[in-house]
Amino acid sequence: MSSDYDYSDDDGDYYDEDDMMSTQDDGSAPSDEEMDMDAFNDDFVPARNVRKVYEVEHESLSQGAIEKLMLADIEHISGIFGVDVGTASLLLRHMNWNKERLIEKYMDNASAVSVAAGISLPSRSPSSSSAAAPIRSQSSSTRSGAAPLGRPSRQRGKQNSRSPTPALTHGGGRSQPPKAEPFVCPICFDDSQTSFLGLSCDHLFCSGCWNAYATTKIREEGEHMIRCMAEDCSLVVPDATVQNILGDDTATWERFQELLVRHFVGSNPNLKYCPYPSCTYTVSCSAAAHKSALTTMVPTVRCGAAVTPPHKFCFGCPIEADHRPVICGVAKMWLKKCRDDSETANWIKSNTKECSKCQSTIEKNGGCNHMTCKKCKHEFCWVCMGPWSEHGTAWYSCNRFDEKEGVDARDAQSKSRASLERYLHYYNRWANHEQSAKLSIELYSKTEKKMEEMQITSELTWIEVQFMKKAVDEVEKCRTTLKWTYAMAYYMDKGNEKELFEDNQRDLEQAVEDLSELLESQIDAEAIPALRQKVTDKTVYVSKRNEIMLEDTAKGFLDGRWGWNVTVDGFE
Amino acid sequence: MDARLRRVNKEITDCKNDKSSNIRIDLIDSSPFHLKGSFPGPQDTPYEGGHFEVDIVIPDSYPFQPVKMKFITKVYHPNVSSASGAICLDILKDAWSPVLTLKSTLISLQSLLCSPEPNDPQDAEVAKHYTTSKRSFDETARYWTQIYAGGPGSRGKVESKEPARDEIAIAGLEKAHVDQFEALGFERSKVIDVLRRLNYRGANVAKIAEDKIVEELLK
Repeated sequence: MSSDYDYSDDDGDYYDEDDMMSTQDDGSAPSDEEMDMDAFNDDFVPARNVRKVYEVEHESLSQGAIEKLMLADIEHISGIFGVDVGTASLLLRHMNWNKERLIEKYMDNASAVSVAAGISLPSRSPSSSSAAAPIRSQSSSTRSGAAPLGRPSRQRGKQNSRSPTPALTHGGGRSQPPKAEPFVCPICFDDSQTSFLGLSCDHLFCSGCWNAYATTKIREEGEHMIRCMAEDCSLVVPDATVQNILGDDTATWERFQELLVRHFVGSNPNLKYCPYPSCTYTVSCSAAAHKSALTTMVPTVRCGAAVTPPHKFCFGCPIEADHRPVICGVAKMWLKKCRDDSETANWIKSNTKECSKCQSTIEKNGGCNHMTCKKCKHEFCWVCMGPWSEHGTAWYSCNRFDEKEGVDARDAQSKSRASLERYLHYYNRWANHEQSAKLSIELYSKTEKKMEEMQITSELTWIEVQFMKKAVDEVEKCRTTLKWTYAMAYYMDKGNEKELFEDNQRDLEQAVEDLSELLESQIDAEAIPALRQKVTDKTVYVSKRNEIMLEDTAKGFLDGRWGWNVTVDGFE
Repeated sequence: MDARLRRVNKEITDCKNDKSSNIRIDLIDSSPFHLKGSFPGPQDTPYEGGHFEVDIVIPDSYPFQPVKMKFITKVYHPNVSSASGAICLDILKDAWSPVLTLKSTLISLQSLLCSPEPNDPQDAEVAKHYTTSKRSFDETARYWTQIYAGGPGSRGKVESKEPARDEIAIAGLEKAHVDQFEALGFERSKVIDVLRRLNYRGANVAKIAEDKIVEELLK
């Protein structure tokens, strides 16, 4: 977008954005502030001074920032419930990170939620009921939690997460293994193992098996809820214990953390991963989080990756990076129609006619002009479309073009063709702009060559010939807009609104074609200053027209001004 | 020693030593990871008296991933594919726990034969048969046990010692029905196929029009 030009934001703006973030986050933990700062320190999306009506407010977050958001949620819950962070994390994951629902359910019946989340065992005897109570004796924080990977709190937290027994029991320190005979791990049947681990369910297994089990779960199944290995035991291994089990295998531990983040992002409707390959950014866009919002806006967002061209994508749908001005539902419908119909429609148009009586589509696959409709048995002439009965004996040549019946039949035919023609009208223009936008890459290299030429033949410096590049960029952008205006117009109800829309469309199209032509034209050494002036003027004009187009459409969506000739998802 | 190998060896030995369960595990070839399990059909079921063999493949990440099992013996059961022997059982998929053993899994299979789950079928046609007419289903399952699993009947309870394989009984159909359509000039195998597909059994016989069957036969 135009952000290239208004890059130079002052710091004031920067902090504004920050504040917005933390309010959205219930302003719970004090760490929010630092977190957001961090997020933007490495890569900061230029904030705009004034948000245009067709732009959507969004934030780009780095991997680290997401992890911090996650931690903030965990700490929030841990604070409210008075549980340690490990338990809070399991509770949140169980509830798909829906804090409100978790709070509601937990307040309602804490032990039931804890059991369902795999934190505590279902209470069989009354004595062990309320075992979920997370505030537990601290007796066990003896393990040397080295707290690698910067999650000291979680590591510590897990220790207390369990009922009185420590979350993780080392065989040596526990009275669990029978004293007389050596304990045999029920999985590997190895009696030479010395280190056993078990959750509060007291299902003990050797650490080697735990390690192999967790590794398979994480690596092969992509599972972040690792349950106890015993049959029908629903306890989940807390994160710190997972880390402990994995030991030196930091690659798997990192994978585990990645799975957690993925689950967090996947569960949060405000967040989406940037879909570009190997891009690690996440975009937060609360305005487009709900499906219903997609009827009034096109949430085109860009992530914070510092690349050219920037990673632009639609927050609402995966179909195309930027399908403004048309909303996701309509764009999707249009693409589906094109996929299904365009080729078929073209073929139908060139190879078939409709029966003048029942309107069935008929392909003439050989033989004479005497057609008999398979469906209604109507006999007619393929050439003039009139009824065959009037052809008398002139069976194989039709010279009756002007007969009344023939004319009527062709009228009926053209009416039934109208919808097809209409579709093809929009489709061809849509496809044309798409093609042209693609060709602009070619145009770009041509332009680059021209710019070099210009530097040689005229006095202009490199910076001064940038007008060509800007013009090409603008043309591509506008063609994308134009392309989608055709999809939109196809589905629009007839009326004044549509006429205004099409006026805007025509103005933009005219301007774009003019500029395109200018860019393709031959360059004359002496005409360069004039050309420069012309191109610059046109570029400004085109950009203005594009803005008008986008703005008016976006406003129309907000006001509910656009009517559709089909049912669009989300509209009554 | 490799933990997987040690465990499998132990499981095989344990199973050999345990005479009470009637479960057997044998090697198929020299590999300890491709085995054959077998157990008798449970009592008071149509599978009683049969001897069922199961193909067992132990994956590399066993016991952290479930074993792969399928019936070698053909079984007429809603949760077992009548064609491939594939089994639909939760512990062979997501309910697997590393604590489970080959023996316990085979016991689970045995009890699956006692309690079919027609609502979560592997073989939809068999499941339909089961829900339409339990009595007719039992008969067919018993017949399958007899001819494929060496169940009673092959030992002289029924008329002949080596019963000719009755395609109609295998398909769980009534001879009268098959004869009726065969008399119209259709091939016997085709009639059996169509009637089985349409589940022409029990109460369904009254519901399915003969025209519809003829239509199917003509396809």
